[in-house]
Amino acid sequence: MTALDGTIGTSPNRVGGIDRVTGAQRYLADMSVTDALHAKLVTVPVARARVARIDGSAALALPGVRLVLTADDLPQPVPRFGPQNLDRPVLATGETKYHGDPVALVVADTREQAEAGVAAVHVDYKALPAVCTVAAALATGAPLVQDRSLRAKDPRRNTNVLNEHVVAWGDVEAAAAEPGLTIVERRYTFPMVTHFAIEPHAFMAAPDGDGVSVWSTIQHPNWLQKTIAGLTRLPLSKVRVYAPDPGGGFGGKQHAKYEPAVVFAALRLGRPVRLVLTLEETFQAVRRAACEARVRTGFTADGRIAFHDIEADYLIGAYTDIADRVVGKGSYPAAGPYNVPAVRIVARAILSHTVPSTAFRGFGNPQINWAVESTIDEGARVLGIDPVDVRLRNLARKGDRFIPFDTPCDGEWDQAVRKAAELIGWDTPCPPGRGRGIALGIKSGPTTGLSYSIVRLLADGSVVVYAGTSDMGQGARTVFAQIASHELGAPLDWITVVMGDTAIVPYDQQTSASRSTVLMGNAILAACRDIQAKLRSIAATQLGAADTDVTVAEGVVRLADGREFPIREVLAAGLGRLGGEITGLGEMRKEAEAGHPLSGAPAFFEFNCTAIEAEVDADTGDVTIDRHVTVSDVGKALNPLQVRMQDEGAAIMGLGHTLMEHYILDDEGRIRNLGAIDYRIPTSMDLPRELRSEAVENADGPGPYGSKGMSEGALLCVAPAVAAAVRDATGVAIRDLPLTPERVWRALQVGAAPGDAEGRR
Amino acid sequence: MRPFTYARPDTLADAVALLAERGAEARVLAGGTDLIIRLRDGSVRPEVVVDVKRVPELAPGIRARDGGMLVIGATTTMTEIAAHPLIRRDVAGLAEAAAVVGSVQIRNRATLAGNLCNASPAADTAPSLLVHGAVVVAHGLAGERRIGLDDFFVRSGLTTLAPGELVVAIEIPASGHGRIASAHQRRTRRRGHDLASVTLACGLDATGLTRIAYGSVGPRPILRLDTTGVLAAAASTDEARTPIFEAIFADATPSVRSMRAGAEYRLAMLRVLGRRALATAQARLAAGE
Repeated sequence: MTALDGTIGTSPNRVGGIDRVTGAQRYLADMSVTDALHAKLVTVPVARARVARIDGSAALALPGVRLVLTADDLPQPVPRFGPQNLDRPVLATGETKYHGDPVALVVADTREQAEAGVAAVHVDYKALPAVCTVAAALATGAPLVQDRSLRAKDPRRNTNVLNEHVVAWGDVEAAAAEPGLTIVERRYTFPMVTHFAIEPHAFMAAPDGDGVSVWSTIQHPNWLQKTIAGLTRLPLSKVRVYAPDPGGGFGGKQHAKYEPAVVFAALRLGRPVRLVLTLEETFQAVRRAACEARVRTGFTADGRIAFHDIEADYLIGAYTDIADRVVGKGSYPAAGPYNVPAVRIVARAILSHTVPSTAFRGFGNPQINWAVESTIDEGARVLGIDPVDVRLRNLARKGDRFIPFDTPCDGEWDQAVRKAAELIGWDTPCPPGRGRGIALGIKSGPTTGLSYSIVRLLADGSVVVYAGTSDMGQGARTVFAQIASHELGAPLDWITVVMGDTAIVPYDQQTSASRSTVLMGNAILAACRDIQAKLRSIAATQLGAADTDVTVAEGVVRLADGREFPIREVLAAGLGRLGGEITGLGEMRKEAEAGHPLSGAPAFFEFNCTAIEAEVDADTGDVTIDRHVTVSDVGKALNPLQVRMQDEGAAIMGLGHTLMEHYILDDEGRIRNLGAIDYRIPTSMDLPRELRSEAVENADGPGPYGSKGMSEGALLCVAPAVAAAVRDATGVAIRDLPLTPERVWRALQVGAAPGDAEGRR
Repeated sequence: MRPFTYARPDTLADAVALLAERGAEARVLAGGTDLIIRLRDGSVRPEVVVDVKRVPELAPGIRARDGGMLVIGATTTMTEIAAHPLIRRDVAGLAEAAAVVGSVQIRNRATLAGNLCNASPAADTAPSLLVHGAVVVAHGLAGERRIGLDDFFVRSGLTTLAPGELVVAIEIPASGHGRIASAHQRRTRRRGHDLASVTLACGLDATGLTRIAYGSVGPRPILRLDTTGVLAAAASTDEARTPIFEAIFADATPSVRSMRAGAEYRLAMLRVLGRRALATAQARLAAGE
């Protein structure tokens, strides 16, 4: 195989990969335009404050400072935006809602001048009581995070409960009353964590004729276009969004954050304005929802799950962003990939005076899966049944409607479980001092979707693919080029994939939910097939054959009589002296379904099984992951190396929230560990001693060639599998994340609670 | 970052004169691994940054003097120290400590004098240098003077260097009692680069004198000696050693407000690391003779 061979199922070099690793790739922070001014955010150092007055006069007197933009300078009432609720003001007005909520934007000729300007802005504010935990937000008399007027039609407007999502089938109470059940009930917590994309979030805006251009590290350029058009009352055609390939997104770059403020500043000044966030500011812009979950599960004596009764309170931030969808969609499959006759899931989105939580790889599932899988593990131990056996006894098989009103089980999931168990050596003795744990997880893929692609087959046989997906490192460009190469016969370096410009690239709903290979991939495939159909007519005319005697596939034109011609030959002759090109249009649409709680059943499930072998240093509490096995059902690996990299990346990211990551808030709700020094993510030295990623491939997915989305699955199971291994090694159960050395040490000091050590291997 | 003047004197006299003249307005730049962070976050705002890497007297390098003393140039990097055969053989605890400071990139820049002058209570090289009796060679307007490392640290960010004084070298004297076998241990929140929540070294010689130094549990690193021989004796039981360790660690005062580790955990880890470092030092002493 050469690096230029795009054959499906092989792993050609990543498109753009060399630029990424050599530093040649230009990220948005590397870009500027002529005359661009520099913006910095002004914030107040408390979680919640009443802002009486903002005096920018001293800042404006400084050299280079052009503008101190506050809410007062915006249209009134201050415009609000958000993907679910229009509740986030462009700049905070009257009251700040979290530590980092910007009250003003200082714009100056240089970044240093903008920083000096920020220091000179006088904000007259009074700190107010803040609610930063589930308990505080739900307490009687707790201050309301959102003004009632924003939720006028919401019956919960007098509380901090933004929404409650209930999923239920069967009769849980009747099931629980059955004699002979072993019932396990436990509480689990999952902390606030942040995405920590290595590329900083960056934004730029410039007046552009009678419209505006916006540059952003956004994952969803079309969403941003719509948001800015709405706020500025411009038609979509007058808002041009440039979205250069992000350097990591993980969900944190899905929706608009400070683009609107930058746009208003640029329009006011009539000049381009850019804002590049620091890592610290990024922590104050995006995070994952924390979660407190209670799980009550009944098991029959032979290890069947009789019922799940699950309550989860997700602590979201001050503005909705996409957090309520995270809670609803993430908790929806909380009963896991099992056939359970009675289920009740109640998940609440709780507002708080904290950074707005948003989409984050796994989308609400890791929080609840941590609790539910740990409970299943505990049930297995109490019953004395092997944790793998318990899971296999309950696991859905292909076609099972394990969620009664949803997409049936769409994979041979037991294959993944058996493979993971085999790879970790589940049935072999565990080396002394070590423990093993295993966990399963599912996540619903996209429930709606709309992707268009245009593919142009140029006169020389080279190809241009237009796709509105954002390639943030997941490798979408490579897979898209492979599809076009496979279908149209051009080598990979004859294919250009154009992304990230709403004035050129047709609409794509979003880059999220591990959808792009499936949805955009199908759109590209359809566009290529459109070209193939046109080629068939051309070839038939050219070669004197009937249309029906010509087939075009995988770069080759075939006649019924056995003659074969490369597409390029037929194309050159068919286009004639004027040349030109053949254009294909592809559309992939997954419509919303009326009445479905998620507005639609998922296009596919991501399924993963993770098995861990770990050892615990009893003196220090250190957890060492000796072996980490992750097996995902991917349908078909279009690019096996990229599949493995995504799977490994998700696994390692999962180790972060499992072992070390968490926001530390002070009593006033300020984030104490802002930045890289005191918020720890795994480094290469923190990786498992052995990390093994394997895929199950049965070509049974809805994407091109039977593929499924797969970029999040390996994150779903890390915490429960590691905690089960720690428990197996020590006999001590820990139900709060992360499993820092200190937390593990403390738990070991306390020792095993009654029942904890049961079922120890 | 606030603008500042960058100065790069070529002689020690010029460097010292500039530092003396500008006083608190000046900051010394060697590796920059602490300074740049603080310049960026605005916690220091100097008028002038004095780059001392061109001053010949501060040049990097590790030299053995007659009599066994090692002299480490002020701007010697952690990478050089961790890899140097004499340091690895004779000052093993320092080699271990230098090898875990920051990351590869940081160790390629960070200097030994910088690690000491920054005076972080968590400085990883400090405990090993303390147990080896290291001496700081400083040069100022009044000339050269030698400061025992235990007399160098005052509290976080503050040393006994006089205004205008520069550290030119660190001397590790030969012990009067033959070789000191040393070992370094630390606690961090992860294996990749991190700041120590406890950093500790143990040094042992053939007379049975045990030196234990530890940091990140109070305003400055602390050096304590066991002259009873109980810690060093191979035959001692854990029960016999416990009260000695308790006395040695009695001066640890970890912050109760730190987010890096709780006070109770740090105090417990001092004892774990103390025993581990002692065991390693004992094995090294035995292996070297």
